This record gives sequence, structure tokens and C-alpha cells, in this order.
Amino acid sequence: MFDFKVLLESIIEIATVVPKTLVLAIFILLLSLLMGAIIALIQQYKVPVFSQIIKVLQSFLRGTPNVVLLYLMYYALPGILTFFAGILRIEFDANSLNPIVTVILTFSISYSVFQSEIIRGSILSIEKGQIEAAQSLGFSFWQTFRRVIIPQALVAAFPDILNSLLVIIKALSLAYLISVVDILGQAKMVGALSYRYLEAFVGAALIYWLIGVILTFISNRFELKLRHGFH
Amino acid sequence: MDIGYMIEIFPKLISTLPISLLIILTSSILGLMLSIVITALRIKRIKFLSPILEAYISFMRSIPILLLLFLVYYGLPVFFSLLNLNMNDLSAIVSAMITLIIFNGAYLSEILRPAYLAVEKGQHEAADSLGYTSFTKIRKFIIPQMAPVALPGLGNAVIYLIHDTSLVFTIGIVDIMGKANLIMANSYGENKVEVFLTIAIIYWMVCLLSDRFIKLCENHTYLRKIENKRAFNSQSLKLHQKFTKRNIKSNLD
Repeated sequence: MFDFKVLLESIIEIATVVPKTLVLAIFILLLSLLMGAIIALIQQYKVPVFSQIIKVLQSFLRGTPNVVLLYLMYYALPGILTFFAGILRIEFDANSLNPIVTVILTFSISYSVFQSEIIRGSILSIEKGQIEAAQSLGFSFWQTFRRVIIPQALVAAFPDILNSLLVIIKALSLAYLISVVDILGQAKMVGALSYRYLEAFVGAALIYWLIGVILTFISNRFELKLRHGFH
Repeated sequence: MDIGYMIEIFPKLISTLPISLLIILTSSILGLMLSIVITALRIKRIKFLSPILEAYISFMRSIPILLLLFLVYYGLPVFFSLLNLNMNDLSAIVSAMITLIIFNGAYLSEILRPAYLAVEKGQHEAADSLGYTSFTKIRKFIIPQMAPVALPGLGNAVIYLIHDTSLVFTIGIVDIMGKANLIMANSYGENKVEVFLTIAIIYWMVCLLSDRFIKLCENHTYLRKIENKRAFNSQSLKLHQKFTKRNIKSNLD
């Protein structure tokens, strides 16, 4: 019933897409961090109109599953892009849109809201005394930001950021629905070729587990170091 | 954008909501029960069991729910046939429920354990010294103190459970997404954007409702009750002062 040789073969075959999945996930993570930072800034300074839009967006993204969002973007994005291209008078062929672009955009938008919470929390966790000390030493705003706030906020946010990398890797498993091949998509293809779905899925699960264990290990080590201080 | 079409398909889509709600309710209740058992076992720190439980939780944390769904759907019949049980006609709904139960058992225990550990040791000792049995202790001391810590996390878990339920169409259950595929097949792939926009709105509404429900529960925890009482007392104090001042004034007049 369950063939370990097939399992080993499918693990090797599935492992070939792991780098692609990781690169895609890290790219989405960076993009969503960037968008999250912008959202956090807008919320911090309460920019009129934008902050209201973001509030509605937050509620919408919290309430809508990623699958629905992915399909919605998959079918709506060509139309939206054609509309904007029409305004800017750029030649654009909606049918040539790569589904990877849809995946990256959807998940970046969907996770940017969560990243903004992480960023806000990490910046708020810095004591006021640190900023006051920097000001008393005559640091400019930009210097304070770069030399005092960013290093501490990054250290505080690092475990959460690693955790959201894991969440994004897991969420990418939906990408096979719109024909982007990640770990789960590859497992489905391997299973379809050999009619041995179960072995392929177990192999994929083992790979996901390995990634999860490594990420948890790194973040635990980092937290320990954080508690002892970087001296 | 065809809003008329959206209104037209809305009742068709919402007619499949009961099946999603059935899966959500069953797996949230049974998942919560499983997670309570797992949390209790993890807190007790039984020698050979706790590494297994840790492995189970790290496994559930790192694999996507979609993969778990496939694993259960394709794997359970094989597993049962090893035990010489014939379970080939295991229905898709049951496998979806099993998936969500074992997933939530791990996920909720990650919420319940910190909440339990947040209760101070002195509380246990005080209850013990007053001679409460362990069941009464948990009912009267531990759970009321765990609730305000755990409820926000549990609320998030409910939202994620609703999100995860949207994936069950991949193993052939006709829930909202499955119905949407049928509708799109009937309309030759027209109006796809409208269909998914309607689904998004339905899910948004369901999640807003469950958020409200969790807020209601949070209002019943003891911390919130104390806050409300304080707010009420200070308000009534102000009212009292206002009235007495007026009385004094009217007396003076």
C-alpha cells in the first residue's frame, strides 16, 4: 500500500521546487514589509482619507480567505491593469500576464496589513528614553531613525518576521490553483504522474515540516540571544 | 461590474452556507475539546508523551492546511485498511472535519497553554489552601482568569477556521466555492469577477458577525465586568454630585 521507495523518489523530485518557493516567499515577505511600513506610517500620522481606506481594507482582508482573494485577483487583475494602461496610454496585453505576478501581488497585499501590525508593535516597543537620549546627543531625526530606532525595532520584530515567512510559505500552497507550481503543486504533479498521491503528499509534508523546524530553530536561537543581549 | 448579477447569484451562493457552518461548528467544538486534552497533557509533562505532542504541534504548525486536507482525504482509507477496517467510503465532509479538528487541536493548544501559564501560582495555592477540589478550582479560579487572556486568540482562531473552511471545495464538497465553480461552469465563464466579489462579501459578513460574537463573550469576562462597574460607578458618582449640587443651589435660592 505505502511504498517507501516511491516516497524517497517523490521527495527528491519535490525538493527541486523548494528554492523557487523560498525565493518567491522571501520576495513576497520583503514586498509586504515595505507595504506594511507604508501602512504603519499612514496609521501613525493618521493621514486623512488614506487611513480610512486602510481601515476598511484591513477589515476586508481579515474577513476574506486567501483562496477567494487569489481567484478574485486572478480574474480581476487583467481588467484593472488594462484600465490603468489605457489611462497611461501604454500598450498592454492582459492575456500575457504571468500568474506569478498575481500570486506575488495578492499575497503581498494580503500580508501587508499583518506586517504593518508587526512593524507598529516593534516601533512602539522601543522606550522613549532611547529616542530622548539620541536627541540629547544632538542626533537629527533621520540619524535617530537609522541608528537608534531601526536596529532595535528589527531585533524586536525578527521572530515575528520569521513566523510570517513560514505563514507565507504555507499560504503559497494555494498558488497551484492558478497554475503556479510550488511545493504542494509539485507534489500534486508527481502524484498524478505515478498515481501515488499519498506518497507524494507525505513527502511534501515532510519537506514543509523540515522548513518549519529550521525556521522555528533559527527564531528560538535568535530570541535566546536577544534575551542575553548582543555583547 | 454587474451588480444585478451579483444580487441574482447571492441567494444561490448563500444557500450553501449551512454546510460550511456545519463544518465550522463541529470542528470548532471538537477541536476545542481536543486542544483542552492536549493542553492538559502538555502541562502535566508526561515523560514519553510530551515529545510526541511537541512533534505533533510543530508538524501542524509547519504544514499548510490544504496539504493536511489532502493527506487525510487520501491517507485515512489507507491507514484504516492497514488495520483491516474498510473505510473506503469515508465521505469528504467527514475528512474535512477530521482535518480541521486535528489542526485546531494543535493550534488552539498553542493559545490555551500560555493562557494557563499566565495564571499565577499563588492563585492555585490559595484555592488549594481553601480546600477546593481540583475541578471546582479550575471552574471557579482558573477558567475565569484564563478567559480574558485566551479570548482574543480564540477569536482569531475562529476567523482562521472560517478561512480554512473555504478550502474544502478542493476535495469535492459543494460549499460556497464549489457552488461558485458550478455557477461559472453554467455561465460559460462569464462574470467571474462578480462571483468571487460576492463570495468575498459573504465571507466578510460572516467574519464580522463572529467578531461581534467574540466581543460579546469578552464583555462577560471578569476583567471587563470590573471595568464596566468602575465606569458605571464613576458615572453615577458624577450624576450624584451633579444632583446634589443642584439641590444645594436650589436650597440656597
